[in-house]
Order: sequence, then C-alpha cells, then structure tokens
Amino acid sequence: MRLGRVVGLVWASRKVKELEGCRMVIVQPLTSDGKNTDTPLVVADPRGLAAPGVTVVFVTSTDATQAFDTGYAPVNASVVELVDEVS
Amino acid sequence: MFLATVTKRVVAVEKHPAYENRAVFVVQPIQPDGTPDGHEWVAMDYVHAGIGDTVVCGGAPGVAATVFGLEHAPIRTLIMAIVDRLDYRDLEAGAR
Repeated sequence: MRLGRVVGLVWASRKVKELEGCRMVIVQPLTSDGKNTDTPLVVADPRGLAAPGVTVVFVTSTDATQAFDTGYAPVNASVVELVDEVS
Repeated sequence: MFLATVTKRVVAVEKHPAYENRAVFVVQPIQPDGTPDGHEWVAMDYVHAGIGDTVVCGGAPGVAATVFGLEHAPIRTLIMAIVDRLDYRDLEAGAR
C-alpha cells in the first residue's frame, strides 16, 4: 500500500461491467511528508472514498481486485483508505 | 520480505471494511546497516509494532485474507515481525 493525493478524476461512460458505478481517479504518489514521488497513476475507487485533493491509501497489483465486494475486477490499483492524518 | 523502520502512523476514518480496527503505519525500507532504501510503503500492523521499531515487512496476494480470516482483503504489506537484533556483516566490503 502507498500514500497518494487525488489530483484528477477520470470520466468514462463506457467501461467493463465490473467497473460500472466505480469511479476512477488520478493519484499522485506521495511521501509521508506530502511531497510528490514517482508518476501519477489511475486508481479505481470502489468505495467512493476519493475526492479531489484528498490524501488516500491505495493498494496495487492483485490486491487491488480484493477491494471490490466481488473480489474481482480488472484493475491493478484501488483506493482503500481516506487519510485524515499522517503523524 | 524487507527490513524497514516504522516512521509514522496513518489515521483514517473512512476506509475499506478490511481496514477497520487495524493499525496502519508508514514504513521506510532500510538496508541492513540502517540506511534508507527506496520509497516509503504503507503497512498494516500484525505484531503490535510501534513508531521507531525496526521491522520485517512483506506480503503476497491472499496472505492478508488468510491471516485476518477475511473473504476479501485489499491489503498487501504486513508488518510481520519486530527485529530485536540484526547480526549482519557486509561481506563484499569485509572480504579480504
């Protein structure tokens, strides 16, 4: 899992059925000090936690599919926590 | 698995159900001599680690679901052990 900031929203009206009703956002990975690190990526948000500007924890790879209630979706990054504070 | 130092705590109210009532930390991977190595990770505690501890972190698909007894666990990195002591010698540097 990594920290990231939501820097954009992805709008797509036609997508695979597993992602219907699931928003996708652009996330800039962060250090714990809030500095940008690495390049932004598109992350699925199955729980609707993300909003522009917020800090989130996201999970990548196979584990990202586990963020969906079905346990399967064709994704490799998912938002799992809306971060209030890193201290 | 990798060695890391626990540096900060992540506080969140809204989260995936698999994250409810579990401690989540920021960990900084380190080399055996303690120097930072690579970017930070967010890791879920499994051994009651605290900030400042040197720990062993790791994970693989399905591991978190198994250890926490969850059907679906979008969790990769787990803090799996707290390091008491490390006996380590840099063989390349120490070779004669």
